[in-house]
Amino acid sequence: MNSPSMDASLGIDAASIAERIQSEVQRAIQRSIKGVEYLSTSGPALGSTPKDVLASRGTMQLYHYRPLADEIYRVPVLIVMATTNRGYILDMVPGQSFIEFLLKRGYDVYMLDWTAPKPEEKNLRMEDYVLDFIPDCVRRVQQDSGETDVSVIGYCFGGVLSLLYGSIFHDGPMKNLICFTTPIDFREMTLFSNFADRRYFDVDRLIDSVGNMPPEMILSSFEMLRPASRAASQVQLWDNIWNDEFVKSYRMFDRWATDTLPLAGDYFRTITKDLMWDNKLYNDAMSVGGCAAKLANVKVPILHAVAEHDHIVPYEAARHLIAKVGSTDKEEVVLKGGHVSLVAGANAIKRLWPKLDSWLGMRST
Amino acid sequence: MADKGNDPAVIWQRMIGELEKGFNSFANQAMGTPEFSRLMNQAGGVAAGAQKQFVELMEKYLVSMNLPSRAQLVGMAERLQSIEGQLNEIKALLNQMNRSAGNAESATASKPRPPRTKRPPAEKAQK
Repeated sequence: MNSPSMDASLGIDAASIAERIQSEVQRAIQRSIKGVEYLSTSGPALGSTPKDVLASRGTMQLYHYRPLADEIYRVPVLIVMATTNRGYILDMVPGQSFIEFLLKRGYDVYMLDWTAPKPEEKNLRMEDYVLDFIPDCVRRVQQDSGETDVSVIGYCFGGVLSLLYGSIFHDGPMKNLICFTTPIDFREMTLFSNFADRRYFDVDRLIDSVGNMPPEMILSSFEMLRPASRAASQVQLWDNIWNDEFVKSYRMFDRWATDTLPLAGDYFRTITKDLMWDNKLYNDAMSVGGCAAKLANVKVPILHAVAEHDHIVPYEAARHLIAKVGSTDKEEVVLKGGHVSLVAGANAIKRLWPKLDSWLGMRST
Repeated sequence: MADKGNDPAVIWQRMIGELEKGFNSFANQAMGTPEFSRLMNQAGGVAAGAQKQFVELMEKYLVSMNLPSRAQLVGMAERLQSIEGQLNEIKALLNQMNRSAGNAESATASKPRPPRTKRPPAEKAQK
């Protein structure tokens, strides 16, 4: 048996060990109770900020969020969501919702969100997204708000679509553009590039077989970027299952991350061939429906927010955006966090949202 | 108070974190090779081919059972979707008309929108 002095030299004392054991026993009991609770209940309701559906056309959904301020900025904001994921990442729960934040700060917010394209929508092409869906939504936002100018916020691949739109419709009506973690140089998405290596990946054969790119395949390719992380996060969940806040946050993000959307077949072909294989956006060779889509044509004020530890869109893949656009009023902000924590969660509330508000507010009058 | 370095829970969490990082980095190296891409796409191609054959077989089975074919169901879905789209268009148009007519009956459609006069706080402070 160790003497008290020996224990002290090891930095351990009997009282704290007893305290620690007691707390671990309590947590073990809590884990069992909360574990059963976890299995028998569903997670918090997500995306519940009041909104109206302005338009719904196939995979395209346009929402208008009901204002929460007594006075709003003149220029409405249209958020263009990534086509692989659901828009509620930007509207998790009250107090952790980017949409709610914007509304309370006096913005008039619209969102172009996507539903899963149906089998009969497998022929949707990049043209449908850039030359039809986005312009149609912008037109509806103009009509609904009574304003000509519209600011656009694009998240991840929604940023790519917004850039393509902005580079083709460069005479307006887009007034400002904000991109979150938007890839430009697809060579730098090294693992995705390797998965889609043109020597081995027969995209035509795949799409001819399956129609739309199945969400399971998209989810697997995201998860393969960090293959151990799902198992590790489940261990973490078990460790912290006694902690209600942790569990709530885990459920919200886990639900969103696994709620992946299929991609329309022809649209996926273009992404693979033009962007992954030929890197056309970076090489100024991109065109959509015969219209040249050069980044230099984008001349509106632009803010690009990127995450320091983004494993999906690494900084190297995103960093050329600001250099390549033709805008004079342009800024890149590199913030701590990952691909998702940049835009949602505690870090985003502290870092990204206030920055965005101060940047956009000055340009929304 | 016990040193954090001796806390078994902290040691466990650190170990999990290190294992995760180590495995991810090892796997990423392996997945970055052309060999991995070849094997992955070979396996994916076989699975997709098998799925296609299965779908074709199922369609033949449905026809023999005198059940509606997939193409017929898709056709019906398209028609329903188009009707749904037109209804939404009509709804949006009615809301718009309602708003412009100043009808106070509908809570969502006719609720007056806030004025678009907001200025950024920095600009207000300057004034």
